[in-house]
Amino acid sequence: MIVFDKVSKIYSLGTFELHNTTFQIDDNEFVFLVGPSGAGKTTILKLIIAAVTPTAGSIVVNDTTITDKRFKSVEKLRQSIGFVFQDFKMLFDKNIIENVAIALKVSGYSDKSVRDEADRVLKLVGLSEKKFMFPIQLSAGELQRAAIARAVVGRRSIILADEPTGNLDPKTSWEIMNIFKKLDNENKTVIIATHNVDIVNSVKKRVIVMKNGSIVKDARGSGYDL
Amino acid sequence: MNEILTSIKRTPYQSLASFLILFFTLFLSLFFFTITSFFNGVLSYVETKPQVTVYFDTKTKESDIITIQKTLTDSGKVSSVEYTSQQQALKIYKDLNRDNPLLLEMVSADILPASLGIFAKRPEYLSQIAEYLKKQPNVDDVEFQKQIVDKLLSITTLMRRGSLIIFATLLFISFVVLMTTAAFKIALKKDEIELMQLLGASKGYIRKPFIQEGLLFGTTSATIAFLLFYSVFFYFKPFLHTYLQGVSRLPFYGFGGLNIFVWPPSWSFIMLSYFVIFFFGTLIGFFGIYFATKKYIK
Repeated sequence: MIVFDKVSKIYSLGTFELHNTTFQIDDNEFVFLVGPSGAGKTTILKLIIAAVTPTAGSIVVNDTTITDKRFKSVEKLRQSIGFVFQDFKMLFDKNIIENVAIALKVSGYSDKSVRDEADRVLKLVGLSEKKFMFPIQLSAGELQRAAIARAVVGRRSIILADEPTGNLDPKTSWEIMNIFKKLDNENKTVIIATHNVDIVNSVKKRVIVMKNGSIVKDARGSGYDL
Repeated sequence: MNEILTSIKRTPYQSLASFLILFFTLFLSLFFFTITSFFNGVLSYVETKPQVTVYFDTKTKESDIITIQKTLTDSGKVSSVEYTSQQQALKIYKDLNRDNPLLLEMVSADILPASLGIFAKRPEYLSQIAEYLKKQPNVDDVEFQKQIVDKLLSITTLMRRGSLIIFATLLFISFVVLMTTAAFKIALKKDEIELMQLLGASKGYIRKPFIQEGLLFGTTSATIAFLLFYSVFFYFKPFLHTYLQGVSRLPFYGFGGLNIFVWPPSWSFIMLSYFVIFFFGTLIGFFGIYFATKKYIK
């Protein structure tokens, strides 16, 4: 479960990135975080993985108050969260299975478990045949699938995706979204920050609409209008 | 191991710089360690010799020498007086030159002087004893060891201080070079480090490959420095042997009883040298990289 209670984030220049935001996302929920650029979507994702600290308010992730001053287990928190980056963040000197394996290695998996689990998720995203290829040899869609594989691998119960279809054509975007829908059946909490109206309106899941750092709409099975 | 080798291949010049500075630091440290131990051994050796040795003319009667020995013993200023007759002197000479028959051919007991080796009860008695002996008839020469001991002591102290200063300087340079090369390697892996942090890697996990590389450099350079130093040492050992003829064994500080000898170098001393150099190599490799990762990986 993720709980934001009156969370604000002000950057050093005094601009509000997030303003008095309150919401709760239950376990295994599938949520779209939508809004125009600069609405505060990415800031919310960064706050969940403790990459930035809020100026005010409290955040609870998996029953742990991560805004508490006594909270020190950032590593443990991040090991329970998978993050899909808009720019993929692939390491170009490592092949695809090695890129996926990093997420397992940092969590202390044994070598055999790393191989088995990496193989399993690469099969899930349809990249088994290309696991020994290097990122430069893959298309943007395939890179995004590899990035998803890295995010869902292991015991990560929350998956965050920041504009996962931002750099992709419509057909590939749907392929990626179908992978996320598969994850919905794997008992994982999925939060996708996007402004892809077509996908959000078709999938019919909970939608949190943001504008200028505030939530303007929060509805289940809803659509989204820009 | 593969990760370390990949890192070395990617930054060959930085890796070479790290290795070379560690190698020179450890090689010179081993050199100064051995030299200081050697001088200390010489000092201990000289201290075991009589503090005053008096040599008599070859024609001196043994009874005259015994009289002087008795006078000295009765003076209350000496703890012991050892008499070495001409026959005993010949035996010592033969033992020292047993490998050189040419030197033994022309020598008989008649041409070697008898001597008395005197150990004083207190250092201030040494000059009085020496003065007394110089006034005795038939005395050929009086050797006063205190000056030699003082000279050796000052050389050893100087060597020890000099070695420490050189070691500290080299240590500092090693740290700076290791930190600089590590900073460069960290900068090269910036994206990977950032990704690992986002995926939940602990600082220890991120530091581990860098520290392992530092340890590899430390231990490898220590081993190579050790092998090279002792190869050179054993190559020159016959020359040193000729030069140090007569010196049977030089103990390593107070550890002669444990069979640790600087000269001729015992296996225990060689292994101790390796242990010391390996320990310092590991320590420099570890802390040099540890401080760099602590500073540059936030």
